[in-house]
Amino acid sequence: MSGRDEELIEIIAEEALIDRAKLDPAAKLEDIGLDSVDLVSVIFAIEEKYGIEIAEDAFDRSDTLGVVLAKIDALIDAKAA
Amino acid sequence: MSEPIVVTGLGCVCALGLSADESWSAARDADTGIHVHDFDTGPNGPGVRTYPAGLVRGDATAALEAAFGRRIGGSLDPFAIFALKAAHEALGQAGLLGQRLGERAACVMGNGIAGIQTLEKAYERLFGLKASKVHPLTVPRVMVSAPVSAVAMEFGVTGPVFATSSACASAGHAIAQGGALIAGGLADIAIVGGSEAMATPGGMRSWEGLQAMSESGCRPFSVGRDGMVIGEGGAALVLERESHAAARGAKVLARYLGGGMSSDAFHWTQPSLEGPVSAMRQACEAAGLLDAGEILISAHGTGTPLNDKNEAAAIRALFGEAGAQAHPVIATKSAHGHVIGGSAAVQAVIALKALEAGLAPPILGYLGPDPECGELNLVLGEARPIKARAALVNAFAFGGLNCALAFGI
Repeated sequence: MSGRDEELIEIIAEEALIDRAKLDPAAKLEDIGLDSVDLVSVIFAIEEKYGIEIAEDAFDRSDTLGVVLAKIDALIDAKAA
Repeated sequence: MSEPIVVTGLGCVCALGLSADESWSAARDADTGIHVHDFDTGPNGPGVRTYPAGLVRGDATAALEAAFGRRIGGSLDPFAIFALKAAHEALGQAGLLGQRLGERAACVMGNGIAGIQTLEKAYERLFGLKASKVHPLTVPRVMVSAPVSAVAMEFGVTGPVFATSSACASAGHAIAQGGALIAGGLADIAIVGGSEAMATPGGMRSWEGLQAMSESGCRPFSVGRDGMVIGEGGAALVLERESHAAARGAKVLARYLGGGMSSDAFHWTQPSLEGPVSAMRQACEAAGLLDAGEILISAHGTGTPLNDKNEAAAIRALFGEAGAQAHPVIATKSAHGHVIGGSAAVQAVIALKALEAGLAPPILGYLGPDPECGELNLVLGEARPIKARAALVNAFAFGGLNCALAFGI
């Protein structure tokens, strides 16, 4: 896992009040216990940190954490490019 | 009041401690929670200003997370954290944790201002940092009812749940409303009290603008008093229908004997004599205390020149010059600061601990008698043994809203 993904996972743990150990990239958001209210807080914090805009429907709760990280990485890379 | 209402749990978090016992011990031992603190408006504000304040002693969030075994963190504004921590302690003492309390349980807690730490941060982002978005959970964190919603969700309270707001009397009205819900048959249990977390840079500047704050400390009923000291925290009581408490074998800590409420309908910051007297009279009449031998009076006692002079006159007006001398008067804001909308609950918890111990905690900061306040039986210096089996808790708010509560053991 990249250093940036580690950083993103830290943000998710902090904002959604979820134990860092539960944040397995293969797990689905809904199985991690990340509800819609948690998700808006996570998206807000990531937008703030990286200066990106994440669409409201960018993620589905059936997405795995790995898929979510990849989508965010792509947005951050697109901004940097 | 038809069927007696008992108190089966107490909880408190304030500048004196993170529990009712800690808060009581510090109040009893004249261990003040008021200290000088810096309040920094940050890079977008005018800078640091220093005030005496009663900030919560210890980390309430960490204590709550330890009790719940999970994180609560930034999901709530401090005013809701304080309410939740106090409610958890009170329910634990009442033996009501580990279950959903259901629709025969109510929660009524007061606050005067809402979650302004969250609001300040949100507005700093907009107006200071010129950010386009505020945190998406700003509204549920700020709203006046956030503490009671948090308590309801955490403990499964599905009966009447609402917040009361009457500035510095908010928790008083909440306790009275909780009692009324039980008396009216709408609930068997009511988690009542209040909280406030207004010791923020913006909150402090707002009080300073009103010229109500002391620069030196809180000195209720003292000569040379020059204002209030802002505190923060929250407190909760579990009120319960006596038969309900008896049926489940709950230990009775005290009795809620009744409350009185009135409005001055007069002035934003100046009190009337009639309003406070009316609230105290109603509470004492409901409790049968007008002719009691000795009552512990937990005064509103803010340390402002006007309140204390008026409250002293109100106590004498209600009980008579001679009668007033029979009742020891305490003013615990001198130790924990003014918890604004949570004050009446913090005072009630300390007053009930005082009745139980047979000791009245001393008024701190007292420099000498103020002729304007006249004769009162003030508890000064150190904790004093009392015979009182009942307490009267006063809460008088800006905008002229008054509440008085009577308890007995």
